[in-house]
Amino acid sequence: MQTKLDVQDLNAWFYQKQALKNVNVKIPEKMVTAVIGPSGCGKSTFIRCINRMHELVPGAKVSGKVLLDGADIYGTMDPMDVRRKVGMVFQKPNPFPNMSVADNVVAGLKLLGTYKKQELSELSDANLKSVGLWEEVKDDLKKSGASLSGGQQQRLCIARALAMNPEVILMDEPSSALDPASTAKIEELVKKLKNETTVIIITHNVQQAARISDMTAFFYLGELIEFDQTANIFESPKNQLTERYITGRFG
Amino acid sequence: MHLLSRKRKETFVKILCFLVTAAVIIPLLWIIGDVIYNGLAAWNISFLVSPVIQGGIGNAILGTFIINGMACLFGIPLGVLTGMYLSEYGQEGWFASMVRTTVESLSGIPSLILGLFAYATIIIALSQSATDRHYTAIASALALGLMMIPLVGKATEESMRVISNDIREAAIALGVPKWIRTTRIVLAIAKGGVLTGSLLAFARISGETAPLLFTALFSNFWPTGINQPMASLQVLIYNYALSGYPNLVTQAWGAALFLALIVVAINIIVRVYTKPKYKEGF
Repeated sequence: MQTKLDVQDLNAWFYQKQALKNVNVKIPEKMVTAVIGPSGCGKSTFIRCINRMHELVPGAKVSGKVLLDGADIYGTMDPMDVRRKVGMVFQKPNPFPNMSVADNVVAGLKLLGTYKKQELSELSDANLKSVGLWEEVKDDLKKSGASLSGGQQQRLCIARALAMNPEVILMDEPSSALDPASTAKIEELVKKLKNETTVIIITHNVQQAARISDMTAFFYLGELIEFDQTANIFESPKNQLTERYITGRFG
Repeated sequence: MHLLSRKRKETFVKILCFLVTAAVIIPLLWIIGDVIYNGLAAWNISFLVSPVIQGGIGNAILGTFIINGMACLFGIPLGVLTGMYLSEYGQEGWFASMVRTTVESLSGIPSLILGLFAYATIIIALSQSATDRHYTAIASALALGLMMIPLVGKATEESMRVISNDIREAAIALGVPKWIRTTRIVLAIAKGGVLTGSLLAFARISGETAPLLFTALFSNFWPTGINQPMASLQVLIYNYALSGYPNLVTQAWGAALFLALIVVAINIIVRVYTKPKYKEGF
């Protein structure tokens, strides 16, 4: 099991409030890691520390190391480069409403680089296919990204993140705003994604974590309580808190 | 009995509202009717296309558009940049609050003062002596452009600020630098609001006379350059209406009609442009 992300002594604050306390975890490569825990336990702060988005909030502070393939993303790396390597999908689908479906997919590449039109259009098609959206939108590629349904928009956002060819994809409750059918499609997609990249997904739904993840991290009050293979977490959790949370007794 | 009295109150309020509305609308319709009636009396093709020296207002129409156009070239970019700064960069800090206060004050300065400013800075600087003033349309454009900055700035700031942070975060997560996010995502999404604000600012300065009176002054001839005195509809109306000659007063009405049409046309364009594309219905 190759380690993709090695998080060492990670602490994070909002002003005086400490949101993450001494988190140490090794996230394996090309697997799906679920992050679970009750509201306010630091799940979102944790994944936002991995693409350096936490520090953008007023009053935010971070200490510790996050090694991506051995290189500390808080070292000399430009935060913009970190975010190109570590993609993110948000809770609420957020396609760019001023761009077409096709342009949304390659938005990052288009805004950043000097790609040829032909290249962009091929990348756009390919990524729409890999998120299973191609058949649904191939006739509407010129329409605004915001014209799609919620579930389609979210897959479009995943395609947009994938088009950057990221090493890691962070997902912050990507299906919590979607209907069951769309949720099922996102789950299928997440399971497929681990062939290409490393996925870290926050979910409020413990069954979802059990269904799609290989590893599970349970957070409580800013601390990483338990991190293990998903099967172990759900069948024989070592910590009482973990057991109580996954069996629905609190949270 | 109780119900009846409530119904009576209802009717009373309805009638009161109607009367007050009518009281507001009647003078407006009166003005519009007056301008159309008196203005059309002056209108014919040669009136609109020949210069003042030949009894028309053509050079004043062109002058108004040239001066306004120059004002836009200067006022819109500065206004957009100011709005962009206030919405995306200057949320806090002493500089941002200074910019904010300056923009608010600028919008409260009477246009006459802005005209005097343009006179004092440009006209006097360019003049050989106190008896030989060099009047120029560029100074008018400066004064009108200054008026546009807070109008365009506010419109830009507001239409950028209402854009959901989710969109900004999407761009951040793609590793897109802030200036590209701001211009190619946030400003691009807000461009309808910016355009609307700019058009309304254009309409607003089209009626301003004071800043032109002692900057562009007036001319009886077609303009041959921008760094010279230039006729405008506003100054023409001002001069002719006060002249006392019936034929010039008629021409002033004609010019007023044209000016009113510019403003109405812009407002209609804005209306059509900002009309929601999809009707909401349940």
